[in-house]
Amino acid sequence: MILVLLVSTFLFSQPYKGSTIKVLVWDDALTVAVESMIKQFENETGIKVVFERIPSGSILEKLALSVSGSKADYDLVSVDEPFVPQVGNLFMPYSAWPEGKIYSKIDLERDLIPGVAEGSFWNGEYRGLPINGNVYVWLTRKDIVNNEQYKKEFMQKYGYELDIPQTFDQLLDISEYLSTKGIYGFAPFTKNAEGATCEAIFMFESYGTNVLVQVGEHDFEVVLDKEKAVEALKMYKELCKFAPPGWEDMGHSERIAAFNQGKVFSMFQWPAIVPDHENKDQSVVAGKIYYGAPPAGPAKRAAIRGTWMLGIPNASKNKEAAAEFAYWWSSYEAGKELVKVGMTPARTDLLLDPKYVEQKPYFVGIFNSMRYSVSRPRIEKYAEVSDVIKVNWLAGVTGRVTPEVAIDNIIKGVNEVLEKYGY
Amino acid sequence: MKRKKIKKAIIIIVSILILIVELFPILIIVLNGFKRDIDIWSGNPFSFKPTLQSYKKIFQRSDVWLGLKNSILVGLISTIISLIVGAMASYAIARFDFKYRETVAYSFLVSRMIPQISLAIPLFMMFRFINLIDTLPALIFAHMSFNIPYVVWVLLPFFSDVPKEYEEAALVDGCDKKKIFWKIFLPLVAPGVVVAGVFTFMMSWNEFLYALVLTSSQAKTAPVVINGFMGQYAPLWGQLAAAGTIMLIPNFVITLLFQRYLIEGMSGGIKG
Amino acid sequence: MVTKKEKRIGEKSPVLYFILPAIILVAVILIFPLLFALGISFFNWDLIDESARGFIGFSNFVNIFKDKSFWNALFLQLGFIFIAIPIETVIGFFVAMLLNREFKGVKVIRSLLLLPVFVLPVLSGLTWRLMLQPEYGAISFLLTKIGVSQTTWLAKPTTAYAAVIIQDIWRMWPFMFMFLYSGLINIPPSLIEAADLDGAGFWDKVFKIILPLLKPTFTTAILLRLIDALRIFSEVFVMTEGGPGNATTLLSLYIYKQAFRYFNIGYASAMGIILTIISLTIAIFLVRKNMMMESA
Repeated sequence: MILVLLVSTFLFSQPYKGSTIKVLVWDDALTVAVESMIKQFENETGIKVVFERIPSGSILEKLALSVSGSKADYDLVSVDEPFVPQVGNLFMPYSAWPEGKIYSKIDLERDLIPGVAEGSFWNGEYRGLPINGNVYVWLTRKDIVNNEQYKKEFMQKYGYELDIPQTFDQLLDISEYLSTKGIYGFAPFTKNAEGATCEAIFMFESYGTNVLVQVGEHDFEVVLDKEKAVEALKMYKELCKFAPPGWEDMGHSERIAAFNQGKVFSMFQWPAIVPDHENKDQSVVAGKIYYGAPPAGPAKRAAIRGTWMLGIPNASKNKEAAAEFAYWWSSYEAGKELVKVGMTPARTDLLLDPKYVEQKPYFVGIFNSMRYSVSRPRIEKYAEVSDVIKVNWLAGVTGRVTPEVAIDNIIKGVNEVLEKYGY
Repeated sequence: MKRKKIKKAIIIIVSILILIVELFPILIIVLNGFKRDIDIWSGNPFSFKPTLQSYKKIFQRSDVWLGLKNSILVGLISTIISLIVGAMASYAIARFDFKYRETVAYSFLVSRMIPQISLAIPLFMMFRFINLIDTLPALIFAHMSFNIPYVVWVLLPFFSDVPKEYEEAALVDGCDKKKIFWKIFLPLVAPGVVVAGVFTFMMSWNEFLYALVLTSSQAKTAPVVINGFMGQYAPLWGQLAAAGTIMLIPNFVITLLFQRYLIEGMSGGIKG
Repeated sequence: MVTKKEKRIGEKSPVLYFILPAIILVAVILIFPLLFALGISFFNWDLIDESARGFIGFSNFVNIFKDKSFWNALFLQLGFIFIAIPIETVIGFFVAMLLNREFKGVKVIRSLLLLPVFVLPVLSGLTWRLMLQPEYGAISFLLTKIGVSQTTWLAKPTTAYAAVIIQDIWRMWPFMFMFLYSGLINIPPSLIEAADLDGAGFWDKVFKIILPLLKPTFTTAILLRLIDALRIFSEVFVMTEGGPGNATTLLSLYIYKQAFRYFNIGYASAMGIILTIISLTIAIFLVRKNMMMESA
């Protein structure tokens, strides 16, 4: 028996035979895709992978529960970008990750889409390996902008050609025009969830302002420019006038449903959900969507980035095997297969591979969008800052308070959080 | 005479209307279990083409099985321990005179009123410290914090109602106090024990907050699994309702079977 | 030796034999955690950042006192109780009056009415969330049919708070009904008949005869509801997650958020202690009054 094992070890040269790693990841199409291929990785390396998928909202709690400076129940943990500051120090800097025995170590700057790696940067180090090209992609209905009848009418009324909206002003014009055709120009994200903070930051950045800036090593300052922020909020409110009924409470499921039923012209989406829009069984607009960077505000284009990184806890006892798994996940060879089952890669060579550009029209969109990617406030106490932004932004958008009051409350609230923690 | 008849008819109609309103949400749960998620999202909530798809789906999910298994285990074990320990304490309080008797009794009563959230945090820290997070023992202990005081108080009136003669007769026969409890009192208060047990189990079965805080994947109970059907992007209402219906069955069976004891069960010894 | 000692305890002081197991368990899982929470409430205790931990005396309590969100959450929690429980009591009482008579099927109605009380809180919260969905929820659908415009009930502060309370009323007035009905059937019919002969009207009978007689039952039922309502968490948590904004962030949800979203364990523990003190004060006050009445 032992002999057989020994022989087989030599035969298949599984360098990690006998090690088991526990991996904690968020739950969506991408990780389902990865899980479906783990067997192959296990056979190649001899590493047994315990792969736990949980809702992205619970990851941080679970992480706090199971990983500390001195103990780690997981060898590899996925962390969403805005929480990297809070937990970054628990993870081994990427520069210290071991080289892989089967899959080679990823070069963050050469191999990945420009912009992706920033999400995992904290305190002078990359804290892990970015794993997905997660950034706002802007969805626009090609069939609508190419409708000859619409084009003619729009030209007459607005004096320029109906096309993919390049600015918010254009988007507003088109939305106004389409409202006469029974199409909603825009679908916001207004559920009381992280998505609402993303929308706020997205608008602020497009209008040339941001919430927080780090000054010095351990201090932050609120830099939100009231005038610009109010303008941004007002524009969002204007756009919401052309949103579907029930827009005051739209989350992922409502937005997916509205867009897939062909009711909505244009909106942002996270790459992981895009396949739902291209699924012919669920969506009447499959094949009719153009993917690109979001429209620009007066200051610039901005796209919220939300890349996930894989981090190895300092206290993990299987660092080598964990790194090998992360390299496999990010490798071109595995990526090829993973893309087929629904993964959105962070590797440039995969994202721009001509083979997929046709099949997955949104890959180019992700690449373009990433060029404009911006991050949400980077601070240890992000959860609280995000709640302040979200709550007040939504109060402003839904008209419970005036835009001015909403922005004032954000500034005041974030300052209070900073004060509370002695920044 | 005629007025009386009309009055009676009105009463009956009003009663039935009230009943319909009260049962409406329950009906929604049960019916949705026989619909597909997609049919619930799109269209008329009252159109109904029954299908077993959602039930099939939930029984294929390992997390549903795990949740149900954990719920049953946690419920049964914490109930049994609470019953034994609680019945003994209740007997002592009801049948013995001792120093601090009232204090002990009221401490049990008052401890039922401690808000769960206040206990959840220190329990979480404690179990984290001894590495019991996400294990069934942690959850079982946590459930006993509300189950033991409950059992003590439900059983008090039952123990008090046993006539003194039984005790005296047994003492004459040479039984010691311990034997009297196990051999004589326990059988006499058996109905009370059953009532306490059934309601204790139901409280565990319904419990959500401790399961949310103290478990994550291995020890999570069915209510947490059900909440998980809200999903990342789109709620799976059909499966949620199917699993919910299954969770409702024991509760409704208990309600209807133990009708006579509902008041005792619900008030847990607090009597006006 | 050990067995001998045990036996002695059993014989001389059987009380300890019977009561110790419960006391020990309760001490371990109830008293100790509470003391632990009390201890931690004097610390700045961040769950993740170990370097930020330290003893800070009463700072947490001082900060809580200054924390507007805390007062808001406390206000919402108390508001919940003082709106929901009276309404539940009134509905429960009148339905008990209504069904305190015999007609065909009344027994079935009385039993079936109790079912909502036993619906799992989580399931109740989720079901109401579904029913209030503007696009496909059953209640929204019916309201649109009778001309109420489609609206996002759970996205507006006032309606969301109302919805959370209505959910509780739906589930819990039958609980009141159950107690009050059991009290009603114990009122001797002769008393009512005598009042009828005196020509007393309906309200006279209610205020002069029924309510005074039912007072102990009312106290018990309200006390039980109060204990329950001070602990409310799961229904609201799954129904609105405390939103929109903080409109339904009851104190219990706010504590949860501080502890398990912001990881401020010390701060959350301090609030937990405050909530415990409030609950126990109310409970002890009512229990004492109640018990004194019993002995009188």
